[in-house]
Amino acid sequence: MSYDVILSRDSFLLSVELRIFWAIAFIYGASLLLHVVHIASRGALAGRAAYLLLWAAAVPHAGLIIYRTFEAGRAPFQTLYESLSWFACSAVLTWLFVSRKWRGFYLPGALVSVLALGASLYALLSRSPAIEPLSPSLQSWWFEWHVILAFFSYAVFIVAASIEICWLIFRRRPAPYGLAEDKLKGFHDTAHRLVLFGFPLLTFGIFSGAAWANEAWGRYWSWDPKETWSLITWTVFAVYLHSKTVPSLKGTPASVFNILGFICMLMTFLGVNWLAKLLGIPSLHIYPV
Amino acid sequence: MARMDIKHIVSFAAWMRALAWSYRRLSSIETSVYLLCLLAVSFIVGTIFPQGGDFDEYVKEGGRFVLLVEVFDLLEFFSSPLFLSVALLFILNLVICTYERYKALFMKRKLPESFTPTKSFLVTQDAIRAHEETRRILMDIGFRLVDKDNAWTAMERGLPYRWLTWAYHAGIVVCLAGILFTFLFAFEDTITLNAGSPQTVIPATTGRVQRIWQDATPQTDYHLLLDSFTTEYEESHELDYPEDKKARLALGLGWKLPEHRISSDPLFATAWKAGLKAVGSSGTVLAEKEIEINEPMKHGGYTFYLMGFEQRLKLRVNDSFMPLDVKADDDVIIPGSTVKLSLGTLRSGKVKRLDGSVEELTPYVTVKDSESRDDPALLRLNQSVIVDGNVVTLVGFTEQAILSYRYDPGVALLWIGGIIVLIALALRLYGSYYLLAYRVDDADAIVSVNFSVTSKGVFAHPERIEGRIEELLTEGDLKPLALPERP
Repeated sequence: MSYDVILSRDSFLLSVELRIFWAIAFIYGASLLLHVVHIASRGALAGRAAYLLLWAAAVPHAGLIIYRTFEAGRAPFQTLYESLSWFACSAVLTWLFVSRKWRGFYLPGALVSVLALGASLYALLSRSPAIEPLSPSLQSWWFEWHVILAFFSYAVFIVAASIEICWLIFRRRPAPYGLAEDKLKGFHDTAHRLVLFGFPLLTFGIFSGAAWANEAWGRYWSWDPKETWSLITWTVFAVYLHSKTVPSLKGTPASVFNILGFICMLMTFLGVNWLAKLLGIPSLHIYPV
Repeated sequence: MARMDIKHIVSFAAWMRALAWSYRRLSSIETSVYLLCLLAVSFIVGTIFPQGGDFDEYVKEGGRFVLLVEVFDLLEFFSSPLFLSVALLFILNLVICTYERYKALFMKRKLPESFTPTKSFLVTQDAIRAHEETRRILMDIGFRLVDKDNAWTAMERGLPYRWLTWAYHAGIVVCLAGILFTFLFAFEDTITLNAGSPQTVIPATTGRVQRIWQDATPQTDYHLLLDSFTTEYEESHELDYPEDKKARLALGLGWKLPEHRISSDPLFATAWKAGLKAVGSSGTVLAEKEIEINEPMKHGGYTFYLMGFEQRLKLRVNDSFMPLDVKADDDVIIPGSTVKLSLGTLRSGKVKRLDGSVEELTPYVTVKDSESRDDPALLRLNQSVIVDGNVVTLVGFTEQAILSYRYDPGVALLWIGGIIVLIALALRLYGSYYLLAYRVDDADAIVSVNFSVTSKGVFAHPERIEGRIEELLTEGDLKPLALPERP
């Protein structure tokens, strides 16, 4: 195959990917808009439409990630562009999976669609979608597990935080939004169960990251800002889980810890890059542009 | 004298009371919550100030928190007394809680005097038979007896969650012991190896504890030898992606096509490998491995990592007898010329082309006038370029491997602790555990069986257990008269 053919082929494949990703971002945007209408009007129809739009975006998004895997010939989370896409898709799929039990209650989808839209637009507008070969340090079994598990835990924490925020705001009058009052406790318990599910994933994500760093650089921990923020996230979720067993803390304080954990998770994923650049702190984890 | 003794006794008793109070506080989960919060805040402090930074530099650059940085050692925060004190308190809390949990494992379990029923059945048999039948059914589905002292009979099924909870706390203690070992004993340094020249490993520093009894750094009784150094490349194209956000949107809408092109130096290093040998004093090979990034070699307590490489080029200018020995990826002034030549990285080894073919490269380096904006020229081995009227020929090159090596006895402990934590945590949080209590009531010849089921673990489904019990009760002799009702 001549080089001209290869270059044209790769340009065509990338153009297909970009068009689909933009279309997905638009659908996330439409879903967010309908969620806002649902919150304002309390109309179930808008909520259901927003929910269905999330399905309509997430399924092709998962397909797009598989497409990217074949296009790049490797797992699709080497660059920030790929990680953001993965982050958006996994969060929406996790919410869609969890929401099966709470049919007719669409509110948590609002935060999920905000994050999915934000991550997609950030990827599309600010990052390059170029596919590059894997640098030697990223060619590790530990790296793949580290990223897969960390992102899986992120997706779970996003949904847990969405539920927690909905519970804090709407716990006094959930009925107009489609949740019967007798189901409120069960709904709120879902946030706790999700954190219980995500916490071991985050733990393994941090452990595999340390094992990878030990294999690649000879130091399992170097207090790099990203490493430290992942430890902060882990610590805050540990605070949340412990506070659920303390009678004086298991109510609203625990909910606040859950939301703080979610904010720390966002800092670990994105905020720390900004912080490291802002403060001029060198980091091994700053994504290349 | 007697008054002095009484004073001592009183102060000793006060000390003991304070100690007992501290122990009680440190064994509480509430304290764990506050200490974890404190730890999280101290971690945040460590990410705001550049760790390992120079204090004078911080002052020179106009740092705004000079006093705080100096007092709390914020540029070395993770080894500062303030952070270590918080960490020590947390470790004490963890160790005490783990010890208390361990003791509790062997004590008789404290169960509530009474349970709130989650299911109730009316049955036709007498109370004794109902009790026996219920016990048989529960044992058939895997429940084991825990307690039958009071009116309620408690049974459990699933993984021993109390042991698992203790195990992952103990695992964290082992991990912290590993971290302590690293803090006290670990040290590291770098070594640059030339192919064919054996070198002894003499670290410039040792661990914090070794420094106490060692005057000099240890020297290995073997040599390291770089046998070979190879690099592998992949040819890649460059995406011409617009910076402008509107242009990016235009790509997404299909109004424009993204374009790929081949850059002037399209080779991307995907692997570099160093054939490394540890050679004993008698010349015997003690260890041998082709190391690369993510594939270190372990020998004699050290782990050797490939960090990078350095290349030196031999350039002959015109017909000079002695070639110039210069560093690749650097600028060089050619004698007899005013031009500063920018040299790229030397490329040699295997390359995988875009079309999938693999070929061996003729070694080459990119060269260009450092002030020119033109694309660089390629200078291949034994070929020449003209620089400012001078003929510059690449006549040879050497490659050096840069290795970092580390002695860290804490890693093994961390592995052990980490594996315990992961397994115990996963089993405890994902595995299912059920505590079931039942009571047979016999009032006015109406016999009823009350159940209370609680569970632990994300994948535990108490409603399924209740459903199964209902099914078996209906199938057996017990014949519930009424369908189960929520009390």
